[in-house]
Amino acid sequence: MDVLASGIGEFRKPDPDGYREYVRTHKERRLVSKVMSEHDAISRFVEDGDYLAYDQNVAVRGPTSLFREIIRQRKKDLWIAAKFTWSDASLLVAGGCVSKIDVGWMATGRLINEAIRKGELKLIDWTNGALAYRHLAGSLGVSFLPMRYLVGTDTFTQSGAKVIEDPFTSQPICLVPALYPDVAIIHVQQCDIYGDARVLGAGVAPMEIAMSSKKLIISTEEIIDHEAIRRQPQRTTIPYYFVDAVVVAPFGCYPGSTPGLYGADIEHWMQFGAAEMQGKTDEYLENWVFSVASHEEMLDKRVGAAKLLKLRQAETVREGYYE
Amino acid sequence: MSEQLTFTDVEANICTIAGMIEEDKLYFVQMAGAPLMAVLLAKYMSAPGVGYVVEEGAVAPSPSFPLPRMMVGASRSHYRAVGWYGMNIVDSHAALGFMDYGLLACLQIDKFGNFNSTFIGGTYEQPERRFGGAGGATEIASQCWRTLLMTKLQSRKFVNKVDFVSSPGYLDGTPGARERAGLPANTGPYKVITQEAVFDFHEETHQMRLIAMMPWVTEEEVLSKMEFEPLIADKVERMTLPTEEQLTIIRTEIDPGGLTVSRGEWFTIDRDTDKRVT
Repeated sequence: MDVLASGIGEFRKPDPDGYREYVRTHKERRLVSKVMSEHDAISRFVEDGDYLAYDQNVAVRGPTSLFREIIRQRKKDLWIAAKFTWSDASLLVAGGCVSKIDVGWMATGRLINEAIRKGELKLIDWTNGALAYRHLAGSLGVSFLPMRYLVGTDTFTQSGAKVIEDPFTSQPICLVPALYPDVAIIHVQQCDIYGDARVLGAGVAPMEIAMSSKKLIISTEEIIDHEAIRRQPQRTTIPYYFVDAVVVAPFGCYPGSTPGLYGADIEHWMQFGAAEMQGKTDEYLENWVFSVASHEEMLDKRVGAAKLLKLRQAETVREGYYE
Repeated sequence: MSEQLTFTDVEANICTIAGMIEEDKLYFVQMAGAPLMAVLLAKYMSAPGVGYVVEEGAVAPSPSFPLPRMMVGASRSHYRAVGWYGMNIVDSHAALGFMDYGLLACLQIDKFGNFNSTFIGGTYEQPERRFGGAGGATEIASQCWRTLLMTKLQSRKFVNKVDFVSSPGYLDGTPGARERAGLPANTGPYKVITQEAVFDFHEETHQMRLIAMMPWVTEEEVLSKMEFEPLIADKVERMTLPTEEQLTIIRTEIDPGGLTVSRGEWFTIDRDTDKRVT
């Protein structure tokens, strides 16, 4: 098969058999409780140098309590996939956790620009869809998938994609390598103790990310009864056997929003933005991450019940999620 | 004193695009901001039944106004959709040819409609200013039948060579360039909409062509705001000004947070002469 063009971007060689072996030897098949603290989940399942994936709709349903725990534990040298994201990449860069970013779309500012300039951060450009599609390839257990875009652009050149002559039609077709992250963190509205998880609402690729990642941590707004899962199986996004840890995290997306439950705290986003502009992210991290032991303590001591109530009241839509 | 109308460049852009929205077509709209507001304005006023999808997988929503300031993925933005899916699903709807129009904003564009949303200045490895990246624009501009691009008429945006081709226009402009690269056949940028002028692309040469202008600008003024010289249509149409009603709906329902007025150039137009006062 002729390769007509190749991007120059670095990517991890897809290893479907390696993934299968990992599943065979590491993944729990029984229905056992996986509930644990955010501290234990991150220290057990996120290692320095891991490829970390996550799912969110810009500032909606992102796993921010787990991002903060990753920073608190000073994880290093992570390679992340920033697709359809917000300032989470900047936050992780501020925490010194990230050395490479596969970019679809992310908010960029002083932190990202300075880290690139200093050579501490390498970006590899893809697109939102291409990264979601690479997860899809991973979730199918194959090493690549063909697709109809990315070609003809500099984005293609900087990515790790290839163009080949399609053996069936003889036309050029773009191939992207499957993405098999080491670990994924996904925030959901509801989950049982075994990890049967419900993402309520649209999402970039929660199921594909969950399926393609070797290790999977779910943070959830609430734990629901296993029987409730079995009564409405259609609502299950991720079944238990993919899941390694379940972390209970009400307001787990703060300062982002979770549909059906609470709105975004714009004041807080501006605080982060201002800290970035003023070169004061160390102070920001000290206040919101290092000086509190947990997400719960942060909500209690830094956000406060009155603000949380206001954010709950700001979300007026329940229909479609809970009704 | 004669009656005057004041609006921003982004508002003008939103109103112009809203007037182009066809109710019997499907739209694939970039994450949020002005492109989404243009569709919502049309939905509110002239095309209530128009269907659109967004990257994160909401299909044909009926947004609940007013939208929150952070509108991407928010429950009010996805309200009463017909389906909530994910990115791979809606991208495949575009791959299958269901999306008539893509609607996008861009930082920099060349005469063949190739556009940049990745970085400005310097090199790829050491950019002067790094931006968010191609996002979903590449899949939209590649797979929708026609792409509507919105930007500001400024010479730093309409450039001879974009710093980075994030997403494809007509590539080198030669016939069949997109197909030869491997893109779906018969697709490409359709119109470029700015606050003062609208462009399309010549059928054969695929060069950008001026087709409409606001009544207060001249051809020379339009060309002075572009680094390259576009083709000029035989008859350059007169663009319609935003209406009071459109502006009120943008300001009270669609963008009460003021994202469209908080930055950009302001225009005040004398309604009798349609000339710019300030």
